[in-house]
Amino acid sequence: MIFSKSTKTRLKIFSLIVIAASIILFFIYNNLQKNVVYFYAPQDIKNLTDTPSNKIRLGGLVKEGSLKKNNNTYVFIVTDLKDEIFVEYRGLLPNLFVEGKSAVVEGVLKDKKYFIASTILAKHDENYMPPEVANSLKKNKLNK
Amino acid sequence: MAGYIGNLALFFSLIFNGFLIFSAIKEIRSNNFNNFKIINFCNNSIFFLLLISFLTLIYCFTVSDFSNVAVYQNSHTTKPLIYKISGAWGNHEGSMVLFILILSLFSFVFARTKVSEKLKFYTVFFQSILILIFLIFLILTSNPFDQIDPKPLQGLGLNPILQDPLLVIHPPFLYFGYVGFSLVFSFALAGLVTNNFDKSWSKVANFWIILPWSLLTIGIGLGSFWAYYELGWGGYWFWDPVENASLMPWLAATALIHSNIVTLKKDKLHSWTALLSIFTFIMSLLGTFLVRSGVLNSVHAFANDPYRGVYILSTILLITFFSLAIFIIKKPKKSLYGKYSFFQRDNFILINNCFLIFFLSVVLVGTVYPIILDAISGKSISVGPIYYHTILAPFLFVFLFFMSHGPLLSWNKEDKFLQIKNFKIFFPISIVISLVIIFWFFDYKDIILILGLLFSVYLIVSIIFDWITQKKLSFNFGRLISHLGFGTLIFAIFINAYLSKEINAAMKVGDEIKIQEFIIKFKSINKIKKENYEEVFGNFLVTNKEKQVELTPSIRKYDRPVQFTSETSIKTNFIVDYYFAINLSEFEKEKIMVRFYYKPLMFWIWLSILLIAFGGIYQTFRLRNEKQI
Repeated sequence: MIFSKSTKTRLKIFSLIVIAASIILFFIYNNLQKNVVYFYAPQDIKNLTDTPSNKIRLGGLVKEGSLKKNNNTYVFIVTDLKDEIFVEYRGLLPNLFVEGKSAVVEGVLKDKKYFIASTILAKHDENYMPPEVANSLKKNKLNK
Repeated sequence: MAGYIGNLALFFSLIFNGFLIFSAIKEIRSNNFNNFKIINFCNNSIFFLLLISFLTLIYCFTVSDFSNVAVYQNSHTTKPLIYKISGAWGNHEGSMVLFILILSLFSFVFARTKVSEKLKFYTVFFQSILILIFLIFLILTSNPFDQIDPKPLQGLGLNPILQDPLLVIHPPFLYFGYVGFSLVFSFALAGLVTNNFDKSWSKVANFWIILPWSLLTIGIGLGSFWAYYELGWGGYWFWDPVENASLMPWLAATALIHSNIVTLKKDKLHSWTALLSIFTFIMSLLGTFLVRSGVLNSVHAFANDPYRGVYILSTILLITFFSLAIFIIKKPKKSLYGKYSFFQRDNFILINNCFLIFFLSVVLVGTVYPIILDAISGKSISVGPIYYHTILAPFLFVFLFFMSHGPLLSWNKEDKFLQIKNFKIFFPISIVISLVIIFWFFDYKDIILILGLLFSVYLIVSIIFDWITQKKLSFNFGRLISHLGFGTLIFAIFINAYLSKEINAAMKVGDEIKIQEFIIKFKSINKIKKENYEEVFGNFLVTNKEKQVELTPSIRKYDRPVQFTSETSIKTNFIVDYYFAINLSEFEKEKIMVRFYYKPLMFWIWLSILLIAFGGIYQTFRLRNEKQI
């Protein structure tokens, strides 16, 4: 053989490590794919070919005057200044949830115009805008 | 005026640093190491100059010197004194000064310990290169003594959410941990370069690993405790990238502590220990990058200056590259392999090291993947807690099993006596106790919960058994305490995760609601005006089978910057926390949103973290005393 004995054992150990590492990485990656939550702006949702069935995040501005309450359910419009989407939320609104300001909600899409939110994500301060939202707004302002 | 002194001190420390590195290189070239005096003098000067600069910054904050940009942006005259002082490290610039000061402090203290001159020389040398890199970063991109002209009359104020007594001490602890690992890093490089990476290296390194590790543990605990009572969501760990950033060096350092013990005891695993020493500090740097560069959204991202991010990132790459190059060129000597048996303590430590590295990679992937994906494809995603829970839990059980048995094994194959005796007594006891636990919690019918309790109890029983049969208690005390803390921590986390309860409702004064087994009564509301905020208190009475608790959560409206924060009200009987938070809503002026949480064993989570850290601190003190003898 070309390889000496010690090289062979080292090669064995090395390939074992590579196999183990790739199995572990595959396992991690697989799990990651199942559990990530994608972020969409209303415009992205309009451009989707099919409605995703898993949990997603939606972000944008809460349209002024759009919030309505009916029993325990709130309905409001999230906009990125171009497209709009209705959001239904059952629960308590956080301190920093204000019309005209940015918001990020997590939940599932019923159809392309209607989103059912399970959580409204908390923010750290009033002037803070999530970068995803800021990006989508900037894009639309430039296009106008 | 004070600003000039601080600036000057920074500048001179840079000069001394340059001089230190220059003369050190000269020494290395001529290959005589008898001129440690100059190096030592520079090293001391750097430390004192940085200390002066840091104290000056604190002074600027204390007297509200708004001609200083950092003070102007982060302070306000109406802020209480304690928060003016802590404001000095509650912002990007100030915290970088603290970062460098601690780098220098470790170097300063290390130079006073009993280590061979050559090792000391190289350690101080590598440490001063780190100081240089960060000093240049500080002076170029984030000078804390930048001036504004004309001087503003009032500052912009500190984010109210950060105005909390805990956050006065949380950053220093965390920094002592993060930055403390720099010394092991430098010391490892020194050991490699001088071919001194052996048992005696491990003996010295032990102290310098465990000390920052203990402080980091406390720092993480404090941060978690703050999140629990300040954010008002009833949780204490959100798998937020910022939290992960602190967990990664912790995991790496935990692996390092254990592999270093193997190196110390058996003169094995040199390469692995050296690699972990390097890796731990790189994890700290990565944490600093994640937190400071603004790639993450959090209270920690003070400034979004892309240049800073680029600088730190390229620094990390540079440091990683050079330290690994040194490692590869100067590989430590080969391990001595004696008689081999699987049931040896060092094997179990090695197995658990693999697990720790696995946990670390899970956290690393979950934290970094979204950032990389965003940079490449522009898609933004977030990784939820479910990812971490499903992937970590099953491995955690196996980890706990090995952790229970490892310390009961002996270091050598020959010494079989211990193992047999232990298994005969320990195994039946823990099986019985575990069966009792399963029976107790059988109602919940959740296999993960039962397994979690099973294995954590198994660990706790094994430690108690170990404790009772211990012959050298003072020698093993630190380890026993830390491991016990870990066992109780896992137990408390599982109970807490599965047995917590949450109630959300909208209420007005006089309302009484009954949900689950709780009756919540909204008794009254009152207002208080304080120095820099207004506070509205709600008075609630919560009743269930066991007891009646009165809770007074509140909402604060801060003046500067104008912002609302919810202050929680928590009552604990050391078994269960009753946790209450309220919210105002723009749309329902007449009602208040209330959130009530029933959180079992919260106190035990904090106590466990303290135990883990205490074990480490005990061990460092013991190591110090041992050295003096």
